[in-house]
Amino acid sequence: MMTKPRKNLHKLMASVIGLSLLAACSGGNAGTNNAPSNEGGATDPKSTVSKEGMPIVPEPITMTLMAPDVGHAKWEDMASLKEMEKLTNIKLTFQNAPSESFPTKKNLVFASGTYPDIFYGADLTAAEQVTYGDQKVLLPLEDLIDNYAPNLKKILDENPNIRKNITTPDGHIFALPFINSTAVLYRNPMWYNGAFLKALNIKELPKTTEEFYTYLKRVKTEDPNKNGKADEIPLASVKLTDLRMYFMGFWGMYNEVYYADKAGKVHYSPQEEAYKGYLTFMNKLWAEDLLDHDTFSQTDEQKAAKVKNNQVAVFDAFHPYMPFQVEPNRDNPLMTLLKSEVAESPVYGKHPGQSSYGQFAISKTNPNPEAAMRWADYMYSPEGALLFDLGPEGTLWKYTDKATKTKEFLPVPEGKKRDEIRGTLTPNYGIVPPGINLAETKKGLENDFDLFFKEELNTKIVPFAKPPMPNVFLTPEEQTEITALLSDLNPYVEQMEAKFVTGQEPLSGWDKYVAQLKKMGSERIAEIYQVAYDRWNSTK
Amino acid sequence: MQSTPYPTQNASQPESETQLPKTTGRQWRRIARNWELYVFIAPAFFYFLIFAYGPMYGIQIAFRNYVPTLGFLGSKWVGFDHFTRFFDSYYFWDLIWNTLSISFYELAIGFPIPIILALAFNEIKTGFFKKLVQTVTYAPHFISVVVMAGMIITFLSPSNGILIHMLEWVGINPPDFLTDPRWFKTMYVLSGVWQGAGWGTIIYLAALSGVDPGLHEAAIIDGASRFQRLRHINIPTIIPTMTILLILNVGSMLNIGFEKVLLLQNPLNMESSNIIATFVYKSGLVDAQYSFSTAVGLFNSVVNCVLLITINQIVRRTSQNSLW
Amino acid sequence: MHSTAIKESKGDRVFLIANYIYLTIALIIVAYPLIYIMSASISNPQYVGSGEMWLFPKDITFEGYKRVFQEEKIWSGYLNTIIYTVLGTALSLAITLPAAYAMSRKDFFGRNFFMGMFMVTMFFSGGLIPSYLLVKDLNMVNTIWAIIVPGAASIYNIIVTRTFFMSTIPRELEEAAQIDGASTTRLFFTVIIPLSMPIIAVMALFYGVGQWNSYFSALIYLNDETKYPLQMILRQILVLQQMSAETGSIVEASTAEALSDKAEIAALVKYAVIIIATLPIIAIYPFLQRYFVQGVMIGSVKG
Repeated sequence: MMTKPRKNLHKLMASVIGLSLLAACSGGNAGTNNAPSNEGGATDPKSTVSKEGMPIVPEPITMTLMAPDVGHAKWEDMASLKEMEKLTNIKLTFQNAPSESFPTKKNLVFASGTYPDIFYGADLTAAEQVTYGDQKVLLPLEDLIDNYAPNLKKILDENPNIRKNITTPDGHIFALPFINSTAVLYRNPMWYNGAFLKALNIKELPKTTEEFYTYLKRVKTEDPNKNGKADEIPLASVKLTDLRMYFMGFWGMYNEVYYADKAGKVHYSPQEEAYKGYLTFMNKLWAEDLLDHDTFSQTDEQKAAKVKNNQVAVFDAFHPYMPFQVEPNRDNPLMTLLKSEVAESPVYGKHPGQSSYGQFAISKTNPNPEAAMRWADYMYSPEGALLFDLGPEGTLWKYTDKATKTKEFLPVPEGKKRDEIRGTLTPNYGIVPPGINLAETKKGLENDFDLFFKEELNTKIVPFAKPPMPNVFLTPEEQTEITALLSDLNPYVEQMEAKFVTGQEPLSGWDKYVAQLKKMGSERIAEIYQVAYDRWNSTK
Repeated sequence: MQSTPYPTQNASQPESETQLPKTTGRQWRRIARNWELYVFIAPAFFYFLIFAYGPMYGIQIAFRNYVPTLGFLGSKWVGFDHFTRFFDSYYFWDLIWNTLSISFYELAIGFPIPIILALAFNEIKTGFFKKLVQTVTYAPHFISVVVMAGMIITFLSPSNGILIHMLEWVGINPPDFLTDPRWFKTMYVLSGVWQGAGWGTIIYLAALSGVDPGLHEAAIIDGASRFQRLRHINIPTIIPTMTILLILNVGSMLNIGFEKVLLLQNPLNMESSNIIATFVYKSGLVDAQYSFSTAVGLFNSVVNCVLLITINQIVRRTSQNSLW
Repeated sequence: MHSTAIKESKGDRVFLIANYIYLTIALIIVAYPLIYIMSASISNPQYVGSGEMWLFPKDITFEGYKRVFQEEKIWSGYLNTIIYTVLGTALSLAITLPAAYAMSRKDFFGRNFFMGMFMVTMFFSGGLIPSYLLVKDLNMVNTIWAIIVPGAASIYNIIVTRTFFMSTIPRELEEAAQIDGASTTRLFFTVIIPLSMPIIAVMALFYGVGQWNSYFSALIYLNDETKYPLQMILRQILVLQQMSAETGSIVEASTAEALSDKAEIAALVKYAVIIIATLPIIAIYPFLQRYFVQGVMIGSVKG
């Protein structure tokens, strides 16, 4: 319309100019940086930071912490953080920004030169770690870890791969990860609608793409939801983003864009021969109306309504009860990975064990980096992990047997969800914090569904799973090249995928497609990541 | 970029009514006589100076690899690298074509409709119906983009969209509005008209209120019909506003917001929905790129600026209503 | 409305009827999505998603409204938004009207210079970071000033206002005033402003609605939740984090749970949120409409 709101036109321009990507910060409170040293008293804080035990400092000190939040509660009021303050003698002042705008605020902070003492859950990208580390805006942490982080040091010593994943090419560690060595998934897996399986009397889940096809065909024709209408949608998706990674594994590919195979060779998936197998299969499902024909036009919400309406046989979800909006149950089994014509199949791209590598960092203006490191180290201890995951004892849970760390949940007030309450107790809700996920945290608290979920993963996925790629750091030049290449390649691949699947482009056009990819420089993707991967391999 | 694109205006454009001062003395007298006008314009002058010109040094990051901690002067100078990358992009011509064609389409449909609507409002008696229709047409302006896009997709959904059902009901085989690239622009523009036409009338209603009732009375006595009065009194009244809005619209041809397009975009209609703004947005997802997006923005601005100056020159030749 | 004591001709009547038909059709077409939103706001979200709810509410529930009003921050958000809108609009008008008037005067030496200088800002802007640094240096971060000052004026609106002044204010008025020896300031306040109520109403609406709907300055410049405007609070309830599929980042189980909860809430409240956020500002419009009646202003001054 001609009259889009023109108010603040120059601002509008700014955002079109793309500066919406630029960013900015919260800094705000000028002078906060000096606060800690003032309040720390006359003594040199360094000498007073105890190397073990609590409190961390004898006299209270103050630090500023910047973090994203989801607006559930004020961090000042959270039980975990209050407890932590009592424990450590470190008082925090919080600079929170809503999680969806956090990247913007983070960039403003870096641009403004007024840094918080600590970045928490900040998702510092590899590029940010390298550049800000180089410029000494972020402190190198390796010596601090050796001296002030006994828990983390132990983990890193026992798991050299984790250390490699967080060490930049010049040998420094600028940020700490969230460690989750028990995790298998990092994308939604696919689930069968259990009611359909029962209605069609399926005893054994499909194991090959052929069997899967046959099953979908039956769903389409045999009215498993028993409403007398042929309204079943065998496979539902939104733009294929929700199932792509899972399905590509059936043709031996660990990830959507690039991955390293078992032999350590890096591949750019969209031009692999195996990818053609995936396209061919999806095209067959589309042609026979087994893949929802709304796939490329519908919203997540429309898809969710179909699942909830009991029309869909196979769908994605982190937990299968979520789209039905019911209590956790065992009704819907995890989709078994399928074997295709590719010999080395199926495979699954597993959670790499740590995620979002830049979750904690200390700025150069922090007067007490040692204390900050000890504070962070607590997150990597069993007690700290528990405190930050579930809140202090007596809020959400209590011990039934303290010696074995067995716990039980306390009853939840009427009409509230336990997870929502958790979000008011601890900051680690809806954001990825620094720290570690330990099995013992949940000891005794696991419900029937949790056990079912674990079992499903262990039997159906774990045997075929390998992380697609370790966390490799790119040099700035490599990063620039990759960014430029992928900006062009991604839309093209996405567009051609849809065309091949819907048959708008016949599969005979494959060679032309690959030629075009190469013309756009696709081979460089695998090359660059191969170099980075080899570099990762060669660091000790 | 700080230099004004209209550096020689004063010299090159003699005013039609007022003779340019011949001597500095007369010029000063004229300034002195109108000193209050300078006070009037002072707040705006200082506002733009501080809040628009103040930050303008930021444009240089289009020519640098901006790193926040290095600052504007400290980041590495790379010249036209970012521009070259944009021009060399596989999609460059698609982006330009899609962006411009959507804008032209929008202008062709979206520009006249509010005018017609405003003229129609103006013809009916003040009363409940007038208030109702004005308020109702104005309200959709407030629907957020996300909900708007959601509604478009729901109404046009091939399996259960209400518009699809209606078309089937009257015996038309509905096309794939959502996934057919040939329909994307129409869908985008018409939904925009639907949402914005009522809001767009406001400015014309204000302009129409400036009509001297005496003119109408005289015309009625002369036996002019309603339609004649509309043509010869009402429309000429709003022509200056129309012209100015047209010029300003042409001057923002390349600025289509990314949000609605992105929400309606899918891999199948991308041929016609891939525009500059969504391309920049999506590149930013791979890796935040301040410099690149600033460079593309600067390119847009320059093109817009050229378009505006061109259209203004054309208008200047044909009427009195140009910007300068 | 021009008075029409004279009997309408047949042609006029046809014209009027056609006009009413046209407006009725427009009304129906535009009313539909509005009714849809109202119905959706009190329907079970599942039926909205599935398309079964298409006109009247289905499986009526007020859970969406309840959810939003449960959030105590809503009220402080409303209050803040009203304050920002009123003060912001007043400031915007105070800058825009005098500037537009000055630039509408052909005897104003330098008007082309100012026009050029202002127009540049329509195209070229320094971007977010320098703007932020400026606001920070002015010590306006986390204050109301950061919300109302940096976006106070827009050249687009100044130009539109100037056009109105140029095309509706008779130049004789200015000349007469000068001959009378009245100052420009006096002329402006006693004659120009009363004559220009329609454009002032439009500008108040443009600036006011812009301020009412804006969240971006709040997002950038405010740190303190108690200062957030309504739109910011509503975004906190509504907006989901970028889903991982798009950004390729890693999802943890606990995040997935939170996201799923949030998606559920968003489906429930998103239509209610529109109604809550816009009803007040829509309700203002009928009151402004009286300024758009043809000829009232000129008439009142002349008469």
